[in-house]
Amino acid sequence: MKSSLKNMVLVLFTITAISALLVGLVQDMTKDAIATANQQAKNIAKYNVLNTTAEESTVVADTTRLIGDFQITVSTVKRTADDSLVGYAVEAPSITKSGYADRIVLMVGFVEENGIAKVNGVEVLSQKETPGLGANMTKEGNSLERSIVGKDAADVKFSVTKEGGSFDALTGSTISSRAYANAIETAYAGYLWATGRLDTSEEALEAAPTGASMLQQNEPEAQKGEECNE
Amino acid sequence: MSKLQIITKGILKENPTFVLVLGMCPTLGVTSSAINGMGMGVATMAVLIMSNMVIALIKNLIPDKVRIPAFIVVIASFVTIIEMLMQAYIPSLYAALGVFIPLIVVNCIILGRAEAFASKNGVLDSALDGIGIGLGFTLSLTAIGAVREVLGAGSIFGYSFADGVMPLLFILAPGGFLVLGYLMVLFNKVAKR
Repeated sequence: MKSSLKNMVLVLFTITAISALLVGLVQDMTKDAIATANQQAKNIAKYNVLNTTAEESTVVADTTRLIGDFQITVSTVKRTADDSLVGYAVEAPSITKSGYADRIVLMVGFVEENGIAKVNGVEVLSQKETPGLGANMTKEGNSLERSIVGKDAADVKFSVTKEGGSFDALTGSTISSRAYANAIETAYAGYLWATGRLDTSEEALEAAPTGASMLQQNEPEAQKGEECNE
Repeated sequence: MSKLQIITKGILKENPTFVLVLGMCPTLGVTSSAINGMGMGVATMAVLIMSNMVIALIKNLIPDKVRIPAFIVVIASFVTIIEMLMQAYIPSLYAALGVFIPLIVVNCIILGRAEAFASKNGVLDSALDGIGIGLGFTLSLTAIGAVREVLGAGSIFGYSFADGVMPLLFILAPGGFLVLGYLMVLFNKVAKR
């Protein structure tokens, strides 16, 4: 078609207007469905990290804790049949160490055996690491997962092996591996906090993993927020 | 040109990666494993077929001088809509292909075919061109991904066959350039015969 100022302006305006309208409509239409789908994926992860299913067990309580902009959610999962405790599924981001591209968010399952917390399973909820390198953390049976699943959480040192920690880093992805270890640390601190076992004494803080101290340091801020609301 | 030729030329004579050298950015970015290359290829093919058809439909309504911005707006809104629908109603597919979808908007193959083919041909031919170019792109990306995965990680489509330390270089960006270059030479030598 021959171009004139009039038809160029008219056509471009019409196309952008129709496109914007369509994108807006679809966004509105799919907003709720997307939120539901994401929530569902998260729910499935909660059961997966505890080796159970939605049929066998129920999430009885979600406790959420904000640290700055970051959110830790501890879900208590119980067996539907006899109301006995299966374990805790903790959704936690890496707080002090970011991954190569972005923070890493994990779902970590803790089970209790004779009062000792064990890491039962880990699922990666969100990560933007390099495909083929850091993104390998989403693969089943990767070295990070192998070095943590089944361990007593209290014995774990939350850094990579070359820094004296318990995590076998992914090949060529030390930064991603550090962030992964940090997210597990956050999750463990969140679990301790939710079950009321976070040691708040000075000595413990000095020796404690940074995750616990992070929770401590942010206590005043959280309270401030509440006061404002009142 | 027969209908079959429109499809086969996309794979050989006008292979988007090795002959037209279009869409290099996603090519180097996602081909760190065979399955990633394939995912990107398939997602691109789906978008390409549909955007080609839409462009062929509206080509007579668009003034020549503003055709490129018009095409870009159409393609970008189209991809965004597909992404949202997929995320909402087929979350499992979105989990596998989702990361590639936003990359497709900036893939110049889509615009290249809109400009070079769909804006001059009918709807059916444009769809076939989308299939052909899409297949060519998928096969090339899978090939590059497979070579990089075999050399760099000792596995193929995720199945590991070699343990121990492999040359990590091939998973990283420089390895992508190397493999792309050598495969391009190989492809053109074989295709010329």
